[in-house]
Amino acid sequence: MRNSKLTPVILLLPLMAVTLTVIIACVNVLLQSLGYVPAFGLTKITLGYYREVFKRPEFLSALWVSLRIAFVSALLAAALGTLLCAALVKRRAGSGMLYTVRFPILVPHTVVALFIMTLLGQTGIVARAAYGLGLMADCSQFPQLLFTPDYGGAIAGYLWKEIPFVAYYTLALMASVSDTLGEAAENLGASPLRRFFSVTLPMSLPAVSKAALIIFIYAFGGYELPALLGSTLPKALPVQAYITYCSPDLLQRPLAMAMFGVILMLSVLMAALYSLGIRRLIKRLGGEA
Amino acid sequence: MKKLLTGLLMLIMALSLCACAKPAEPAAIDLESAGWDAIVEAAKGSTVTFYGWGGDENRNNWLNTTVADYLKKNHDITLQVVGMNIDDILAKLSGEKQADTQSGSIDIIWINGENFYSAKENGLLWGPFTDKLPNMAAYIDTQDPETLKDFCMPIEGFEAPYGKAQMVLYNDSAVTPEAPASAEEFLEYCKKYKGKVTYPALPDFTGSAFVRNLIYELCGWEQFQDMAADRDTVKAAIEPALTYLRELNPYLWNEGRTFPESSTAVDAMFADGELVCSMSYSPFAAATGIDKGTYTETTRTFVFDKGTIGNTNYMAIAFDSPNKAGAMVVINAMLSPDLQLTQYSELRTLPVVAADKLSDKERAAFDAVDLGKGVLSQAELLAHRLPEMPANLVPIIEDIWLTDVVSQYNN
Amino acid sequence: MKRGRLLKSVLWLTAACIMLPAIVLLIWCFAARWPWPGILPESLSLRTVKELIFGSAKLPELLLSSISLSFAVAAISTTIGIATARATELYEFRGKGLIRFFSLLPLLVPGTVLAIGAQIMLLKVGLGDSIAGIILIHTVASVPYCITIMTDVTAALGDKFEEQAATLGAGPFRAFFEVTLPNLMPGIMSSFSMGFIISYSQYFTTLIIGGGRINTISLVLVPYIQGGDRSLASVYAMAFTLSALGVFAILELLIYNVNKGGKGADA
Repeated sequence: MRNSKLTPVILLLPLMAVTLTVIIACVNVLLQSLGYVPAFGLTKITLGYYREVFKRPEFLSALWVSLRIAFVSALLAAALGTLLCAALVKRRAGSGMLYTVRFPILVPHTVVALFIMTLLGQTGIVARAAYGLGLMADCSQFPQLLFTPDYGGAIAGYLWKEIPFVAYYTLALMASVSDTLGEAAENLGASPLRRFFSVTLPMSLPAVSKAALIIFIYAFGGYELPALLGSTLPKALPVQAYITYCSPDLLQRPLAMAMFGVILMLSVLMAALYSLGIRRLIKRLGGEA
Repeated sequence: MKKLLTGLLMLIMALSLCACAKPAEPAAIDLESAGWDAIVEAAKGSTVTFYGWGGDENRNNWLNTTVADYLKKNHDITLQVVGMNIDDILAKLSGEKQADTQSGSIDIIWINGENFYSAKENGLLWGPFTDKLPNMAAYIDTQDPETLKDFCMPIEGFEAPYGKAQMVLYNDSAVTPEAPASAEEFLEYCKKYKGKVTYPALPDFTGSAFVRNLIYELCGWEQFQDMAADRDTVKAAIEPALTYLRELNPYLWNEGRTFPESSTAVDAMFADGELVCSMSYSPFAAATGIDKGTYTETTRTFVFDKGTIGNTNYMAIAFDSPNKAGAMVVINAMLSPDLQLTQYSELRTLPVVAADKLSDKERAAFDAVDLGKGVLSQAELLAHRLPEMPANLVPIIEDIWLTDVVSQYNN
Repeated sequence: MKRGRLLKSVLWLTAACIMLPAIVLLIWCFAARWPWPGILPESLSLRTVKELIFGSAKLPELLLSSISLSFAVAAISTTIGIATARATELYEFRGKGLIRFFSLLPLLVPGTVLAIGAQIMLLKVGLGDSIAGIILIHTVASVPYCITIMTDVTAALGDKFEEQAATLGAGPFRAFFEVTLPNLMPGIMSSFSMGFIISYSQYFTTLIIGGGRINTISLVLVPYIQGGDRSLASVYAMAFTLSALGVFAILELLIYNVNKGGKGADA
């Protein structure tokens, strides 16, 4: 370790610029949500907009929709992604398979929306295949996944993209754990399944849970998928907030900002809960291993 | 190898940063006092941005080739077409207003109706400017209600006409022989083809117009022309239509629990055979679809007997447009018979130029345009054309639709 | 072994789920009419491909500008990653926990909030609708990943090479540029590709900050997806995805060559 005082400060300057941008953006949103918008002659700080927003049914249902999308996507992606990762590690997948798994990470969400439409729509390829196999007589019998209030299409889109993300994110850690500790456990006579659940999984949890947190925040605050695959009502929270933001009535802006404020605060809250709770849990599980 | 790579990386970085240069600003002149020739002169060599919905491939093509070439050749103006939803455009302008921007990046906006009304009310538009355009007087019927008012709201020179639209419906006569000619027949039609009819979710332009069309038929259109923009008044007036729409819901696609987000999504479902009927604000959409090969040859257009809503869409100039002179020159060119004719022949958009102001030769050129298969004639359309309702009623109706037609049904 | 077969089928199922939509999209690119319930289109056409290549879309220009924008973001984010990693891994100072928090902070702020909050700030400093503004916001979005990657490789490398170079009489700058930087190359490449892909995928932030003036392929694609012209949307989506893959393949090849070259030089 070096002891120079000035050099690290210089090296950290660009990061500080980034941090400053983020902080100014957040403060901007929060100030406006508290009713401080000098351009409209509003300078009185008030919690009234938050109160007003929490009275609106469209906000409450949007909040619920987004929480559901985020929780379901993050948990399913974490579980299935871990399974996929285990399969990749145990089967010692070749580079072809690894490249395939990386593919969804490269595909932007907008294209994912199109994928989901052509795949899972009522006249999508899956429905056509089901018809071809004689499983149904008409396209209306295919379960409606897109544009519905339960946001099945958006969740499917997140899963398609994020399951491989979890697997890829966890791969290095799980491979090393499996190689070293896993073998040790095997030598001690543990069955492969037990070995996975008592050694490999707990040791891989830091990566899995961090990936799940990233997905949660992304799915909670993401715009593209719910906007392109969502229902008429309710909207997802970021979409609802943006619609309110776009309202020609400029006095709606503080309300939109309050919605964005809720998105921001809940995301930060999730991260805080994560670093307090999950880390402790991992330590406990790791301790047992 | 490694050094080469390091060098390469640095080079890429330097090159990409060079891409940040801003385009040149046009010469500044006093637009209040300047004559038309001075405006045309000031616009020479400048770039004009045209913001509007970007989901129509044919229109993008027309703007980027026919219009752009015309402007380059005749006025040495570069047209930059930017596809953006009107909501995003207005949000952006409000943001610029909030930040007190003097010079933004939007010159021309493709706009009409409630968006025009609120943009004008909120000071997002620049004007009046239409009295400066020579083609306005030369080719447009300045006493036409659609030149004076947009959705019953006075235009006062803040926007110039661009093209005319009219609501039509179309279906495939080989799949469904019926062509419902009234709201009542439409309900029967939906019952017969249960789950295979729907309309775009409001506030989509077409969906919104379709609902207004039903309101006109079921509640009479005259009462809305001077109605106060008050939720209770409007709701009381449209109650019969709300009852009808709720009655319609169970027979619609997905039992009316959710509606496709846009008219083009409805079109795609129609092309797939998932729906048996579609609708459009472009009266000749069926012919375009047949041409592209997405619709069958037996697709045909129809309208309700009691008429369908028609409106004009317009071009306005942003309050902080960096090139107002160029924007006026472009809008003036759009009003010329030359570009209106290509818009009619290439895009099948009803022209805004008045027939009696055209020369015989020009009129013959318009008459010679082949509109394609499966459409109604311009005369038939105009005979069924109904005026729009006041712009400030539209968002109220859209809101009532969400709460009283979609929400109640879902709960 | 039963479990082995299960895991194997997991892999194959995954591969199928990943590739199927891409194949369907490829077919859509050439489909004119594809009504229910055909597994294949009823008629094919080159309309959309023609539109893309000969039409007004100016695809090559669009791709070039989108890619250069994302390259700039990737280069800047990677530079920030290198600098931050160097500071935290090689220097002793207080408040490292705070720096770690700062470097992950952008992950906690959803892109929608970031874009809306930054819009007015950028307008006020005259960066509204500018490439510089977009580069800044895209950089914010990709910096956490780049810092994480660069921290890992910097920690693994340590500063023993630079110390050696110093003992041999090289100045600190020469030591960094001629010894450390080449050894960091594999990490730099993966950080670069991560930064590239995050910037290349952005839609909402570009829409809000760029105001449509700055056109990227993401912005052009969305109206066509919303518009329901699936053939055209598919062609754009294909161009989008293939260009990202192409850039990735090139970077991957470079990493491979660097690794090979590195081993040769070290031996």
